[in-house]
Amino acid sequence: MSEMISEPPIGRLEGFRAVFGGYPAAIAGLFGIVFFSLIALLAPVLAPQNPFDQSRLDIMDGLLPPVSTLMDGTISVLGTDAVGRDILSAVMYGMRTSLFVALVAVSAGVAVGVVLGLVAVMRGGWIDAVIMRAVDLTLSFPGVLLALLLLVVFGSGADKVILALAIGIWAQNARLVRAVGLSEMKKDYIAAARLAGIGQLRIMFHFLLPNAISPVLVITPMAISGAIVAEATLSFLGVGVPITEPSLGLLIANGNDYLLSGRWWISVAPGLVLVMMVLSINVVADRLRDHANPYLQVKA
Amino acid sequence: MAPLLAIENLSIAYMLGDGRSAEAISDFSLRLERGRIAGIVGQSGAGKSTIGKAILGLLGENARITSGTITLDGTVITRFSEGEFAAIRGKRIGYIYQNPMTALNPVLSIGEQMIEAIEANTARRGEAARTYALELLKSAEVSHAEERLSKYPHQLSGGLCQRIVFAIAIAAQPDLIIADEPTTALDVTVQKAVLATLKRLACEQQIAIVLITHDMGVVFQMCDEVSVLCRGRLVEHGSTAQVIGAPRERYTKDLMAAIPSVDLKRDRFDVLDSFANTPGRRRGIAFLKSGIAAARGGEALLTVNGLSKTFDTRGRRAASGGFRALDDVGFEVFAGETLGIVGESGSGKSTIGRAILGLIEPDAGAGIAFQGRPIADMRSRRDRIALSRSLQCIFQDPYSSLNPRMSAGTNITYGIVAQGLISRAHAKVLAEDLLEVVGLPRQAAGRMPHAFSGGERQRIGIARALAFRPELIFCDEPTSALDVTVQAEILNLMKELQETLGLTLVFVSHDLAVVRQMCDRVIVMRAGRLVEEGRADQVLTYPRETYTRELLAAMPRIALEGAR
Repeated sequence: MSEMISEPPIGRLEGFRAVFGGYPAAIAGLFGIVFFSLIALLAPVLAPQNPFDQSRLDIMDGLLPPVSTLMDGTISVLGTDAVGRDILSAVMYGMRTSLFVALVAVSAGVAVGVVLGLVAVMRGGWIDAVIMRAVDLTLSFPGVLLALLLLVVFGSGADKVILALAIGIWAQNARLVRAVGLSEMKKDYIAAARLAGIGQLRIMFHFLLPNAISPVLVITPMAISGAIVAEATLSFLGVGVPITEPSLGLLIANGNDYLLSGRWWISVAPGLVLVMMVLSINVVADRLRDHANPYLQVKA
Repeated sequence: MAPLLAIENLSIAYMLGDGRSAEAISDFSLRLERGRIAGIVGQSGAGKSTIGKAILGLLGENARITSGTITLDGTVITRFSEGEFAAIRGKRIGYIYQNPMTALNPVLSIGEQMIEAIEANTARRGEAARTYALELLKSAEVSHAEERLSKYPHQLSGGLCQRIVFAIAIAAQPDLIIADEPTTALDVTVQKAVLATLKRLACEQQIAIVLITHDMGVVFQMCDEVSVLCRGRLVEHGSTAQVIGAPRERYTKDLMAAIPSVDLKRDRFDVLDSFANTPGRRRGIAFLKSGIAAARGGEALLTVNGLSKTFDTRGRRAASGGFRALDDVGFEVFAGETLGIVGESGSGKSTIGRAILGLIEPDAGAGIAFQGRPIADMRSRRDRIALSRSLQCIFQDPYSSLNPRMSAGTNITYGIVAQGLISRAHAKVLAEDLLEVVGLPRQAAGRMPHAFSGGERQRIGIARALAFRPELIFCDEPTSALDVTVQAEILNLMKELQETLGLTLVFVSHDLAVVRQMCDRVIVMRAGRLVEEGRADQVLTYPRETYTRELLAAMPRIALEGAR
C-alpha cells in the first residue's frame, strides 16, 4: 500500500521551493522550528545543569542576574531563580515538556477527530447526528474553561493536560473532515469503489482518508502552537503540569512574583522562548495554509 | 466603411509563476460587421474564451496582450484602462455566459437585477426602468413577464434564465454581444428555441454577435461566418457553408469527421487511433476474453420491472410523497447488445443506472433481475462480489471518477485485488496490459490521475470497468465531458472492445447522435417515465411518440449537400 498516499511525482526539493520560495519569514520560521525542536530533544545533553536534580542546586546561587558565576564556578548566562536553578537549563527542559505535551495532545486529538469525522461521513444517520452534536457541545465551551474544569475534577498532571487539550482539538478536526468527506463521498470514484464491492473500512481508510486529510494537515501546525499556548496558560494558572516537571508556562509563573522586584529574567527568558516558538510555528503554518488555498496562489 | 469589430494579429500570453510565459492566442484576426454573427469554434483549451475576454477587457491579471489590436467601431480598445472598459461593458458590448444559473445573482429577484442593469447602463430610472424590463423580457420571448420579475433565479428553468440574461445583455442596445457557449448548459429542446431568439434579436437590433462554441451544430444554425481555432492559432476562416461544407484544412476536416450524426450510423469515426498490436495488448485481450462469457444472442441478461424511485424532498417523508424520479420503468437488456437510454436532464436516465448497480435503493416493488436472479435477493457476500464482478460502470465525469491519490494502475486493479480475484503481483502486469488494451502506454500505470487529460482518464475508467471482466457495463454519459474528437476516439474504442469481447452495454446519453452511433436498441425517457422503446434506427428515424419527434427535431443538424 506504500504507493497509495504517495505524492505527485515531483522532487522533494522542488516541492519545498514551491511552498517556501520567496517567503523569508516562513523560512526563518522553519529554521526556528528545527532549532527549538533540536534544543528540546537534546536538552539533557546541551543544558549546563539538570535543573530538576535537587541535589545539584545550591540555594546560595538564588536570584542571580544573567551572566553570573555560580558557586560551582560555571557561568549562568540567563541568571538563576529563587532556588538557584539555572534559567537557561530550566528553559531548555521546559521547552521539552511544552512541546511534548502539545505534540501528544494534537496527535491524539487529530487522530480521534479524523476517525470520528470519517465514521460520521460513512455511516450517516443517527451515528452522524450523535458525533456532530458531541462536536457542537465540545465547541460551545470556551477551551480553557473546559480544560480548567477537567483538571479541577481529575487533578493536574501532564497526562490530564494532554487529555484536556485533545478534547478541544478532536472536535474541530471531526467537523472539518466530515465537511470535506461529505463532498468527496459524492464523487464517482467512491461509487466506483462501492461498485467494486470494496468494504466500508477500506473505502474509509484507502479512498476517503487520503482525499479528505489535506485541510487537516494544513490546520495541524496551528493546532500545535495553540496547544503550546493553552498548556502554558493552564500551567501558569497552576492547574497544569506538576512543579517537578515544569513547562514554559510554569516557569513564567515561577518568576511572576519577582517581576516587580526587578528580577525580570526569571519570567522573561521562558516568555520570550514561548513567543518565538509559537511565532515560528505560526508563520510556517500561515504559509502552508496560503499555499493550500488556490485562491491565494499566483495563477499558473 | 470600417467594420464594427476588428481584431488584428492579436497575440495573448499567460505569465506563468516561474517567469516564463505561455502563448494562448497567436496572431488571431477577425472582422465583424453590424448584425452579423461570427462563430469561434475549437476544442477545450483552444483559447476561444480568451478572445472573448480580451474584447471585454476581462483577461486575468497574469494575461498580457503581446501584440495586435482590437478595434471597436474605430476606437482601439486594446490599451483601455479598467475604467474605460467599464464604460463600454454592458453599454456597447453585452456578454452572455455559459451557465445562466451562475450568471444571475441568486439572492436578487429577476426584476431587481434587471432594473439594476438598466439603471446602470441607460438613462431610464424607477418605473420607466421597470416598464423597459418588461419590454425586454417580452422581446426575449419570456412568457408571463410580469410574474417573472418577482421570481428568483432558482425558481426558473435554465432556458428561462438564459433568456433573462439575453434581456439584460440587450438592455443598453449594445453594438456587440459576446456569447460564450450560451447553450451548453441547456437541453437540446431548449437550446434550439433559445438560439432562435438570440438570432432574431441580433437581426432586429442589428447587433453583431461573437458566438463562442465547441458545437458545430450550433455554428451551423447560427453563424454567418466561422473561425476555427486550434491551440490558439486560427486554422481556417470562412463562411459557415464553406467551412462546414468544404473545409480546406486538415484540422477542420478531422473535426467534422468526428461529429456523430443522428441520421446516419457509421461503423467507426474517421479519426486516427492506432492500437499497436503489442504482446501486452494481446495478453490483456486474452485475459478479458477468458472471463467474459460469450454473448448468447436472444437471452435477456438483465430484466427490469416496475422500477420506481421516490426521493424524499426536504428529508421528511411528506404525505405528498416527494419527488418521483422514476415511475414504473421496465425493460430488458439482451446479451451482446447495446441498449441506449436517452432523455433530457432530469428524465431519470442516471437514476436507472444507479438503481441497477445497487448504488441507490429503489422503491419497494421494483424487480431487477440479473441472469434471472432478483438482485434484491443477492445479499450474501459471495453474491455481492459475483454481482460487482458482473455489473460495472463507466462514469460521466472522468475528473471525479478516479481516486486522485492512487496511481492509474492501482485505480484499475484495486477492486479486483481487494476481491481476491487476482494476486497483487499479477495485478501490476495486468494493469499495464489493460492500459495497452485501451490505447495508453504501459508506463502510464505509475502516473497519478492528475497527469492525464480527460480523454485519457476516461480510458483508465474503461480499463477499470473491464478489469472485472463484467457481463454488463453501464455507461453513464461516458463522453459528454469530452471534446468531440476525443469523444470519437472513445466511442471507437468502445465499439472495438465490444466487437472483440462481445460486451453488453447500457449506454446513457442525452445526445441522440451518439446513441445512434452506439446502440442497437433505444428507450426514451421523459420525467421518469419510459416513453418509447424500439430498435435504434427505427426510433431515431421514424419515432412513434411526439416527444421523441420533438427531441429529434431539436438536435442541431449539419445538413449540407455534399457535406458527408
